[in-house]
Amino acid sequence: MQSIQTEVLVIGGGATGTGVMRDLAMRGFKTILVEKRDLSHGTTGRYHGLLHSGGRYAVKDPDAARECIEENLILRRIAPHCIEDTGGFFVVTPWDDPAFGDTFMKGCQETGIPCEEISIAQMLKEEPLLNKEMARCFRVPDGSADSFLTSECNVASAKAYGGQMLNYHEVKRLIKEGDKVVGAVCYDLVNDRDVTIHADLVVNASGAWAGKIAGSIGIDVHIIPGKGTMVAIAHRVLNTVVNRCKMPSDGDIIVPVHTVAIIGTTDVKVEDPDQFAIQPWEVQLMLDEGEKLVPGTKQMRMLRAWAGVRPLYQETSVADTRDVTRAYTLLDHSARDGVDNFITITGGKWTTFRQMAEVVVDRVCEKLNTKRECRTHLEAIPDIQHEPRTAEGYYWLGSRLARTEKNKAYGELACECELVTRAEVEEAITKHEAKTFDDIRRDTRLGMGPCQGGFCSYRATGILHTVRQPSIEETNVALRDFLQERWKGLLPILWGPQLKQERLDELMYLHVMNVDHMPGETASRLGPQMYDKGTVETRPQSAKT
Amino acid sequence: MNEITIIGAGMAGLMAGWQAAKQGKKVKIVAKGWGATHWLSGCIDIVGYYPVDGTEVVENPVAAVKQIITDNPQHPYGLVGLDDIEAMISALKDECAAAGYPLHGELHRNWLLPSAVGTLRPTCLAPEMMIAGDMRQNSPLLIVGFKQLMDFFPNVVSDNLNKQGITAAQAMVDLRVLRERSFINPVILAEMLEQPAVQKELANQIKPHLGQAERVGFPSVLGMDQAMTVKKELERLLGRPVFEIPSLTPSVPGMRLHHILTQAIVSAGGRIENGMEAIGAKKENGKVTAVYTSTAARPHPHRSQQYILATGGILGGGITTNSDGDVREVVFDLPVTAPLKQVDWFHQDFLDKRGHPIYQSGLSVNKQFQPLDDGGQPVYGNVFAIGTTLAHCEAIRERSFEGVALATGYALARQLGAT
Repeated sequence: MQSIQTEVLVIGGGATGTGVMRDLAMRGFKTILVEKRDLSHGTTGRYHGLLHSGGRYAVKDPDAARECIEENLILRRIAPHCIEDTGGFFVVTPWDDPAFGDTFMKGCQETGIPCEEISIAQMLKEEPLLNKEMARCFRVPDGSADSFLTSECNVASAKAYGGQMLNYHEVKRLIKEGDKVVGAVCYDLVNDRDVTIHADLVVNASGAWAGKIAGSIGIDVHIIPGKGTMVAIAHRVLNTVVNRCKMPSDGDIIVPVHTVAIIGTTDVKVEDPDQFAIQPWEVQLMLDEGEKLVPGTKQMRMLRAWAGVRPLYQETSVADTRDVTRAYTLLDHSARDGVDNFITITGGKWTTFRQMAEVVVDRVCEKLNTKRECRTHLEAIPDIQHEPRTAEGYYWLGSRLARTEKNKAYGELACECELVTRAEVEEAITKHEAKTFDDIRRDTRLGMGPCQGGFCSYRATGILHTVRQPSIEETNVALRDFLQERWKGLLPILWGPQLKQERLDELMYLHVMNVDHMPGETASRLGPQMYDKGTVETRPQSAKT
Repeated sequence: MNEITIIGAGMAGLMAGWQAAKQGKKVKIVAKGWGATHWLSGCIDIVGYYPVDGTEVVENPVAAVKQIITDNPQHPYGLVGLDDIEAMISALKDECAAAGYPLHGELHRNWLLPSAVGTLRPTCLAPEMMIAGDMRQNSPLLIVGFKQLMDFFPNVVSDNLNKQGITAAQAMVDLRVLRERSFINPVILAEMLEQPAVQKELANQIKPHLGQAERVGFPSVLGMDQAMTVKKELERLLGRPVFEIPSLTPSVPGMRLHHILTQAIVSAGGRIENGMEAIGAKKENGKVTAVYTSTAARPHPHRSQQYILATGGILGGGITTNSDGDVREVVFDLPVTAPLKQVDWFHQDFLDKRGHPIYQSGLSVNKQFQPLDDGGQPVYGNVFAIGTTLAHCEAIRERSFEGVALATGYALARQLGAT
């Protein structure tokens, strides 16, 4: 068995884990991060991309709201290239209580969130597709974030400071000696072997899976996986983040992300973070609620649906996951469970990942008896994409086109929908350690546009086979896995034009290419994990309405 | 007034229009676009896999079609019968041969041709451009790709062929004329390859790679109108048979076939009006008296004695679905046979061998191709439906896509011509 030694082992390659990795590396700790699949494979890569102003929690969860606005301002400074400065609206629809607007304003004032009420005429001038019957509209500094890119940039920064990242390394169990955690046994999915990593200290930043990791040495961390389903509209129907001005509920946000708009989300308590079906009622609910914000939503072309699992944490049990705080929790298991050198960070939100990391690494310093100042809020996270930015350094919708047009490789688009060039796919394979097409997708957005892999899957197959020269069976399985991965996210929203598109993809891959008769295995270890089939057509009575 | 108005210019509509016009009928085709022809392989599949969840490729389509008809009399082949399939094939072969672009093959034997991923693709009729790729002959191949064309990777083809016990090598050429371009696609490349100088450079770059290869495969870009000339010239320069392998759309072989069919219709006196989306119909006394297409000003009526619906299925747009789980026929709002519940539309795997039930949605018709109501009676006396608009068939899983379209179009036109 391979064995590695490090100072600190971080478990989880989402926003929190990569944030912790960067902070540790910047403070001079020898750091290894392990992720069971690819970076952002878990909740980080499955959220709606909202950079919170905190407005959403201003009334219900003021602590979370304060954390959000603090970090919102810091992230705008250190990682503008990962953010689109869309601004946000909180709108009072005919279905909401107009008086809540005043409560909302007051909440924002008390938590330090800049908020101004604007006229409905002004709102419609900026977002003409919004419901004309809105009663009130408030402007807040929400934004739209690229969570994939942020994780990649965090890791790139950490690597520059000597950190090491191992993807496709799944923690099988923590290693405990006496009352101390001294490392973890990981399974290397790519090479099909176990790897032991010894560490002075282990940080469990595995989000919704934190309970499973801690459970491997008998520590009870009660994570309540709160499943959220999201639906992407194939067009960018709004340029501003739009929230319903009411207590947080289902389907009350639309976030413009790159070329699409995402409606989110539901919140359903699930038993296991690895098993979550998207139920038909959830998709219908997103559409019905989306219709209230943007009339006509139901007739629009839907691109995809997916679910992420919030890592909500509460020491005592609750009936409804919406009532669990969105603030984060640091668990030092020496005090709590008598097990030393082991810290769990959980809860929280994408927007607050940096602050969560800071708190964790402060505690690491304390435990390792050293004093080193946090600098993650002072030093910019490096941009690995080098696309043109706005004057303030933000990403904007035209960034990618502006870069691609300047490039001589303009014609060599492997993915026309998302403007991904052949060179970018090659770089994802050679430099960014992409193992599957889905990893390439997270790096480049390949396959994320309207045709959902129709044209680019074949091209990615050829590029991968040419660049890495694996056995042909491996290439075949990568293609099958990717076709299946795209299909998985389409299943809940396949009707109308998107169904027609999918039939064209069948025509190309089955009729013309006969990929259903390729030699070799039909699925791999690195392949997509399927959601269970959604079968509940109407909303269960027990769920909150 | 036209005698027959056909809605849709895919394979089914074109075949019906051509055959009806040939029999002296006054025919007009109104179409939103060109159907799936530009997406297809350019071959004519009759049936390639049956039963669809089996593993064996169909060697003899005659036997498989008979089995389909026995198992499922409602299948479009059940309406057509073997004789009309045979007659359609012979009519099509004659027309393509006359156009200088011969199709080869017989109904009792499928070709096995390489695909763009190197799998072996069963098909019944193949253009002469492709038949040297037949995998039943066992001679070594060289597969050639173009560096700038990302729609075809020869190494994927050759490695998968080798994996299946077929000796194949690969080569990538880097033509000067392509280096200067910022954008190429199969159509542009096909037109470039009609130039003798480009053919010469191509052959010169390939020669050092020929090795033991006895035939040379290319993506299907060897010329558009001049395809056969390009093929012969490359064969002369390389001293070996060459063949094409279909890949991503736009499909050059599909476009060649489409061109032949549209020319045949015009020559036979038929008319094609493209860019006209049919959006509804006027119905009086159990008959349709007009079909409307959308224009900027007002719906435009098309009057005719008979109407043939050839608008395609889910792919062609003749059958639409929505988020509430409704499945509709778009022009006449005819009753559609479809899975009852939306949760039953799909299986969990994209490549599920059974096919996804929603794609079998379509119209149920009688032997006269008249769409039926729930009581099994024709809905309108003068409306007929053909091609993938019909239910009870999974044309992509069966590899019967062109066959179903062409055979139903042919059979209906013969029926209408006889009356």
